[in-house]
Amino acid sequence: MNEELDKVKQIRDDPSFYAKTWKERTGGKVIGIFCSYVPEELIAAAGALPFRVFGSNKPVSRSGAHLQTYCCSFARTALDSTLRRELEFLDGAVFTHTCDTMQRLSDIWRLNAGFDFHADFVLPVRFGGELAWEYHLHELEGFRSRLEAFLGGIDANKLEKSIQTYNTNRGLLEELYMLKCQNPELISCEDVFSLVYTSMIMEKEEHNGILEKVVSNLKSERKNKGQKEELFGVGSIMDQWEFLRIIEDVGGTIVDDLFCNGRRYFEGQVVCNGDLLEAVGRRLWERMACPCKHGGKSFAKDLPERVKNSGAKGVIFFLLKFCDPHAFEYPHAKKMLDDCGIPSLHIEFEYGSLPAGQTRTRVEAFLETLRGRRD
Amino acid sequence: MIVAGVDIGSLTAKAIILSDGKTIGESLIMTGHNSRIAGRNALELALKDAKLDDSALSYIVATGYGRLSVEFASEQVTEITCHAKGAHALYPEVRTVIDLGGQDSKAIAIGEDGKVVDFVMNEKCAAGTGRFLEVMASALEVELKELGDISLQSKSPAPISSVCTVFAESEVVSRVAEGVSKVDIIAGIHNAIASRIYAMAVRIPVREKIVMTGGVAYNVGVVRALEERFKTSIIVPEKPQHMGALGAAIIAGERFSSLKK
Repeated sequence: MNEELDKVKQIRDDPSFYAKTWKERTGGKVIGIFCSYVPEELIAAAGALPFRVFGSNKPVSRSGAHLQTYCCSFARTALDSTLRRELEFLDGAVFTHTCDTMQRLSDIWRLNAGFDFHADFVLPVRFGGELAWEYHLHELEGFRSRLEAFLGGIDANKLEKSIQTYNTNRGLLEELYMLKCQNPELISCEDVFSLVYTSMIMEKEEHNGILEKVVSNLKSERKNKGQKEELFGVGSIMDQWEFLRIIEDVGGTIVDDLFCNGRRYFEGQVVCNGDLLEAVGRRLWERMACPCKHGGKSFAKDLPERVKNSGAKGVIFFLLKFCDPHAFEYPHAKKMLDDCGIPSLHIEFEYGSLPAGQTRTRVEAFLETLRGRRD
Repeated sequence: MIVAGVDIGSLTAKAIILSDGKTIGESLIMTGHNSRIAGRNALELALKDAKLDDSALSYIVATGYGRLSVEFASEQVTEITCHAKGAHALYPEVRTVIDLGGQDSKAIAIGEDGKVVDFVMNEKCAAGTGRFLEVMASALEVELKELGDISLQSKSPAPISSVCTVFAESEVVSRVAEGVSKVDIIAGIHNAIASRIYAMAVRIPVREKIVMTGGVAYNVGVVRALEERFKTSIIVPEKPQHMGALGAAIIAGERFSSLKK
């Protein structure tokens, strides 16, 4: 299993290399995406690789000319990456309607990145109701048409196969999370998040192969349940590996979460009974809503139950600075937790500047608080 | 039972030796660039003060930023828990600790049992800390330790609007050039600190009694400004800088006692 996890970390640490190699090997196209609301199954069904673009820890040099400093560092550093020509292997990008910054980034990207394909997948802001559902489906059909115009036809067989592959991946990640919850000592949270991260970068069939080996190994591992403090993570992006190592180092671990590139990425299956596009849309419709969206499953209201079900004793809000949707949701979510007596810690981060010493002190003090409550 | 607490902060390292709960030795030195050596030196000075050597110690708890570099410690505990422990040991009625150190500021909410309920720390900014006051003292050409008494003479504190240490220094220089008195500027600086700390602290439940710890608590002007902001009197221990080390030593005693059981 260590061999698989080492391979995963190598890909995690240089995703561009993976994408370039995949491109050379297959001759396929790579489409950059920025949000877990993108119906990736369609992109994969068209033979392309959906490639999640993350932020970068490198200092920003060029995007300051396009985006204000009050925009989140995910947007600023992702734009910087493309302006520095580090994402030249991409053939296009898909932006979803989430927050103001991402909407603006879409226009700036389209004008400055120079890729052949650019699509905006404009989801409804408010989920729920017949009108929004019809609009949602219409938008999905439009998106498919735009993809087909660039990548070629997406017939029902290809789409069904893609959906099955994605469902397999989601099922395996769900199993991984379940195993982690049952025994937090089995695998580190850094490894768990690395596996989800690479799922968003790699060809799904290849990633399924890795996941099957890892999950199978974990099932046969015999490790005693140790003393790690079990935590629940909340936020948009979790790709700060040093932060996860700090948590483990001070005696904690994240056993479950609601990160965009954590549980919210893979939760739920596409149920194929009837129209396949509708089925894909139904999963996006019914999944845990992002704080950018309204209506649907409430992010904050659901949180206490999820925390209790996971066995976690505390919550870490790991929020990207200047991410307004999560910042607006935070007081509501915290109150829900406070009312249920679930302690929480709020850490704000920016790409490229996570102060290790201070962060360690905060997390360690939080764990001391949790232990104090137990004693 | 003789135990020790060592607090290695960004600016100073402190140590306290307790014998059956009573302080028998203490020390305070500058940390310098090597926290491991500073921790060792602080402990040795405190032992010397207690007329003991380290073989007398049953348990040592290290705290502060330098706690991880201290190889002689039996355990490391964060300064949040230690300051809460120290303050509660001296003042059982404490429910909020405001700790203003060299480069850190924190507010800690404490339950009736003395345990930490919640806490908040300064983010990447040093405004409101000892470093901020050092910079201002230097800009005004006064001794750091004089700032407090000078500010009490002010009848009309000058507003200092910048929240950043560097920009506030520029603002102070501008005020001096405008002819504003040092007394009023210093009082204005203390008000700026109090505003900053208050804005941070209200993110946790702030309840009386409030105890202030850390070296900035020696500055009576900052204490007065904070009392005005929080609209309550603030308890300042006799040795506010040693609260972390005291709390660490108390925890050392508790840990050793439970190990013995």
